[in-house]
Amino acid sequence: MADENISNLLVVILDANPVWWGRIVSEGNQQQQISLTHCVDSLMVFCNAHLMMKHDNCLSFIVSHTSTSKFVFPQEDSASGVGENGQKDLPSDGKYEGFADVNDAIITELKNLLSAEDSKADDHSSEVPPTLLASALTMALCYIHRAERECPVGQKLKSRILVLKAAPDVSTQYMPIMNCIFAAQKSNTVIDACVLDEHSGFLQQAADITGGMYLKVPQTLALLQYLLWVFLPEPPVREQLILPSSMHIDYRAACFCHRRLVDIGFVCSVCLSIYCQFLPLCLTCQTRFKLPALPLARPKKKKKENTAPGK
Amino acid sequence: MEPFTPVLPTKIYNDSNVPPGTFSVLNLPNANISLAQIEVAMMLETYHYDTLFDYHGKLSNLQHLKQEVIQEDAEGSLQTVVDEFSHRTKRRRLMGRSGNIRLGMMRHLFVVVDMSRAMEEADLKPSRLACSVKLLENFITEYFDQNPISQIGLIVTKNKRAEKLTELSGNPQLHISTLQKAASKQCQGEPSLQNAMDTAVQSLRHMPGHASREILILFGSLTSCDPGDILETVQTLQQQNIRCSIIGLAAEVRICKTLCSETQGSYGVILDERHYRELLMQHVTPPVAKADTEAALIRMGFPQHLSSGPPSLCMCHLDSGGVKGLSTSGYFCPQCKSKYCDLPVECKVCGLTLVSAPHLARSYQHLFPLTQFTETDLSTIEDGHSIRPQNHCFACQVVFTEQMAYSCSQCGQLFCMDCDIFIHDSLHSCPGCTASPQGEG
Repeated sequence: MADENISNLLVVILDANPVWWGRIVSEGNQQQQISLTHCVDSLMVFCNAHLMMKHDNCLSFIVSHTSTSKFVFPQEDSASGVGENGQKDLPSDGKYEGFADVNDAIITELKNLLSAEDSKADDHSSEVPPTLLASALTMALCYIHRAERECPVGQKLKSRILVLKAAPDVSTQYMPIMNCIFAAQKSNTVIDACVLDEHSGFLQQAADITGGMYLKVPQTLALLQYLLWVFLPEPPVREQLILPSSMHIDYRAACFCHRRLVDIGFVCSVCLSIYCQFLPLCLTCQTRFKLPALPLARPKKKKKENTAPGK
Repeated sequence: MEPFTPVLPTKIYNDSNVPPGTFSVLNLPNANISLAQIEVAMMLETYHYDTLFDYHGKLSNLQHLKQEVIQEDAEGSLQTVVDEFSHRTKRRRLMGRSGNIRLGMMRHLFVVVDMSRAMEEADLKPSRLACSVKLLENFITEYFDQNPISQIGLIVTKNKRAEKLTELSGNPQLHISTLQKAASKQCQGEPSLQNAMDTAVQSLRHMPGHASREILILFGSLTSCDPGDILETVQTLQQQNIRCSIIGLAAEVRICKTLCSETQGSYGVILDERHYRELLMQHVTPPVAKADTEAALIRMGFPQHLSSGPPSLCMCHLDSGGVKGLSTSGYFCPQCKSKYCDLPVECKVCGLTLVSAPHLARSYQHLFPLTQFTETDLSTIEDGHSIRPQNHCFACQVVFTEQMAYSCSQCGQLFCMDCDIFIHDSLHSCPGCTASPQGEG
């Protein structure tokens, strides 16, 4: 079999924006909305399922927070720490060590991260601070790049990223996220997106450009089922399945002057800023533009120039 | 080394030079050649005797020698060393770039491929032409990847003439297939620089003033057969604000050098295939705009992708015939509602340039380049601070094994060399800077 020596690397990015998750709890509709613990439980089952699919499947887990992004699994530091102790705590309940490692690492690290953030998070206003998705994506791509470099000859590594996103998009992250998307496309990495709350324009584009799946979970309590059915199969397998079809994606650009979506716009030839109407001066790079050529005869043109400054 | 055994026939012949009945080496057939071969083989063996004479320790500047020596890695391969050299040169090249320089983003580039007899030479494998075509295919895809709103055209020069293969357009597939078809034909005669440039000028002349007009010539021959004074053409190029760059495959030619320096292009002569690729790929990044380039606002359409509707033919496949373009989904021009199956494209009906927002975003990497990381010695950091320094790469978590790490000047995080190159080559945003809430990469 040709695919015998293909291993799959899955990088899971969990959006652990404490303000967003806290708001979900405080709104109190626990019957309809998923809580962070429930979500992490589902993700752990999903991760274990991924590892179980094939012997040489690999996993990496990144938690994306409002102030930092952190590798939770695998951890370089703890791996060396275990070596020093010489022994590991064996799981008491007879669970497979591989699974126990993943689950313990996720839970302890997440606890550390959230408790460390508690003190800082107080001074935030009511607005949800942005999750640093771009940084998590860049780290994931660097990790994948390294994994592919370290992959032994004859082995093939197929990697994909699953983003579990809760908090809404922030426009300041547009450029780094787009850069990530293009880098992922270049390195044939698929970005899957599972969105809990509101639609994310960034991730829609990411999934569309890299050939991944985008899904806004209709019922968040059933998150695990969606994860297992939609995101567990590898991309080649997905072609055989009937999955939620990608919806219509808006690729229109927003103009820099009014943040309006435009159908036909004007683009600066120097810095590629987009405007919805003609301007004599670029707001971004301060370039003066030549007025569009007028289809007029020479003497008339002179007249036109005289009136132009008056406008 | 195996001892050399000359192939000897079992039967020994009589030679007139040797008295009959006595044995001599000269009785052998081709005796003289065999003797010479044996002599060479024995001389070769003596070459290794120098290892017996141990003079290595007597060399005075041994320390100096050791630094220069190229070391094999654990598997006895030089590849890692070679890679590191190329990484370093790449870093040096990237260092040259900095922000706040006006770039020619809308490029109109004509690639001239020499198809004269000189391109049949096999100094590049399998031949200069085949190698060029292979590299050029990569170049075209990479070019459109990084310059999404630019255009390219192909010209071939052979038999003292120049022929335009493709007009300026933004469709990589078209160019690649035309190039492959053209390359299957035979290389003939001499090239003509002047004719090729004149052909390019005829098209570039009509391009709008804000566009960056460029010609790139892959020149294998050492001569050019021109109908008139080539210096006049150079002047036309200067007047038309066209930049001309040449990659020479053989040796430096004076007229090429003048041509490039007069038109502010670059001239390089290749050393080998790897260097050829490097020189070619330098032309992927947009050049610095010439001072007198005009600026303009360009009207562009941002069509929406509609996936359901009555099946219809798209404009891009109309010419090819058949029902290949018949589908329900596509991009519809916001001005005239004609359908296209791929972006970016210039609307064939109303002439509007159609792009999507991600296409423009792809070019931002050139406009807002990431600042270079500075090389830091890990041991010096350890001395300076009492706290234990970060011992793994911030991005990929690899534990540092080398002495050198690279740190971002803005966020101060440390990265390994591979991540440094990956970040600057394809990612274009720093994982450390994006990890701070106000960071915008």
